[in-house]
Amino acid sequence: MNKPSTQQAIFVYTLLGIALIVFLTPIYLIASSSVKPSPIMFQRPPAMLFEPTFEHYRDLFAMRPFGKFIMNSLVVALGSTAFSVFFGSIAAYAISRIKHKRMNDIAFWILSMRMFPPIAVVVPYYIIFKTAGLLDTPLALIIVYSTANIPLTVWLMKGFFDEVPSALEEAAAVDGHGLISIFWRVTLPLAAPGLAVSAVFCFIFSWNEFLFALMLTGSEAQTATVAVMSFWSSDAVQWGRIMAGSFVILIPGVVFVLTCQRWLVRGLTMGSVK
Amino acid sequence: MSAITLRSVVKRYGSVEVVHGIDLDVEEGEFVVLLGPSGCGKTTTLRMVAGLEDVSDGELSIGGRRVNEVAPKDRGVAMVFQNYALYPHMTVRQNMEFALRPLSLDAAEVDRRIRDAAGILGLGELLARKPAQLSGGQRQRVAMGRAMVRTPDVFLFDEPLSNLDAKLRTQVRLEIGKLHNRLGTTVLYVTHDQVEAMTLADKIVIMQNGHIEQVGTPEEVYAHPDNMFVASFIGSPSMNMIPARHEGGRLRADGLDLTVPTRFEGRLSEGQETVIGVRPTGLRCAEPGAADAVVARVEVTEFLGNEALLDIRIGDHELIAEIPAAGRPAPGDAVHLTFDPVAIHLFDPQTGATLSR
Repeated sequence: MNKPSTQQAIFVYTLLGIALIVFLTPIYLIASSSVKPSPIMFQRPPAMLFEPTFEHYRDLFAMRPFGKFIMNSLVVALGSTAFSVFFGSIAAYAISRIKHKRMNDIAFWILSMRMFPPIAVVVPYYIIFKTAGLLDTPLALIIVYSTANIPLTVWLMKGFFDEVPSALEEAAAVDGHGLISIFWRVTLPLAAPGLAVSAVFCFIFSWNEFLFALMLTGSEAQTATVAVMSFWSSDAVQWGRIMAGSFVILIPGVVFVLTCQRWLVRGLTMGSVK
Repeated sequence: MSAITLRSVVKRYGSVEVVHGIDLDVEEGEFVVLLGPSGCGKTTTLRMVAGLEDVSDGELSIGGRRVNEVAPKDRGVAMVFQNYALYPHMTVRQNMEFALRPLSLDAAEVDRRIRDAAGILGLGELLARKPAQLSGGQRQRVAMGRAMVRTPDVFLFDEPLSNLDAKLRTQVRLEIGKLHNRLGTTVLYVTHDQVEAMTLADKIVIMQNGHIEQVGTPEEVYAHPDNMFVASFIGSPSMNMIPARHEGGRLRADGLDLTVPTRFEGRLSEGQETVIGVRPTGLRCAEPGAADAVVARVEVTEFLGNEALLDIRIGDHELIAEIPAAGRPAPGDAVHLTFDPVAIHLFDPQTGATLSR
């Protein structure tokens, strides 16, 4: 590729700048509001320079068990991610490798699980989990989130498994390895970027989810997203705490994505065949 | 006891039969090459031996044991794939270790085998590298090393040289030959390249359309082809084929009138149609008036160094002659040629079978 001209560079950087402003402004507002003293919270024009205060963070953890809600969110998000990536990968491998004329229908059927609007099934889920005694437990949310995460994982991983050359699996078979060993030691490591992508999507979806968490949990299994909403009561909206809570919620997602990032590399199968 | 035995082995995909009941015996320690044009079933046959394809019908044995239903991992074979199939996430050493893992050897033995193979194949410097950091020739050697360390009963090679450039191909071909001499392991080797087949094989199996056309040593298939397919497939440039007729003890075709070679006397009936096969080296330049000399017109000459190829026309037949380059005629010249009687093959035009037997 040719070196971009100055004009092209200016164009690209302008676009990048606009994108950054669009994406980072809300985060800036959250971060700055979370350390803004309450009296100047709604000052116009917004106060840019002020003495930061950590009172909202203190209130957040002192007045409500916000740490517990964060833990609930982590348990639910990591649990659903692990469950979905594990079973989704196995299913995807079967769909990728088994040649059957009905296989595409099965794959589509799995995808169709994601097509119904969540609000349509909230009430049935509520009744099911109430009957099963799982209301207000992390397990209920793990199950619900997995029904959305597994189809996503299956489709993502199927694409990655399709890319692993069958010659590698044949070589491993002739080298004396059985199916599980081949899957575990050859195919899955080569689809690692897919695992990372799937895990990131599953985690972010589960971490951010609000509707099911609101309807299916109470005080025990409440997740952080729902807990933040509870600062919005009929008497007052505690913006400072909402912003502090929102900022805390941002952190685990960023950490998780950064952790997975080193697997998000391309060209892992380079040099295997030809 | 044969190392590999195929009895009426058939391969079908759905209703399409691609290998039609072939029989083959590969003896212990033999280097056998399956040779044929693409789509002839040679790779399918090899993959059946490896266990990567099911045998639809017939019996396949390795070392006297029926293996039709045996999984690839339990067949005691090692295979070198056309595209090498190295595990890209493992180093060269790990690639070899991975092949040894199912054998449950102790660490010292694993290390010894890897060092031996690396020594033989010159991989010592490369053990810590990943496949992406190797050249084509190096990858090829790693693929062989990975097969070697398992000390299999049978080596299977699937067109192992086809991804290498011409120079490297010659070099690796020699290495494979040396390796076989050194290890003495039975080899079944698939290629479409007759030079590989002729130079490496103890025995060549020539296949076409899912049938075995001929099995023999390189000398046999070259000098005594069973049929027109083998005759024209082996040898480069390929054998000239001239439809002719047997009349009064002579073979006649347009512009051609030859004495029947003595070994065919009594095998031809009067008026029988036949096909004369003669390799380019079987045509000689001769003085005008020599017995059985035919007149040919030179259309193109190709200088190869020691030899020259002449594209010539006799009557309405286009032939190729290979003659010493010195004193070669120029395009447009008329030359007198004789057919070396020993080099003449006769085939049945209907069945393609040789009339020599």
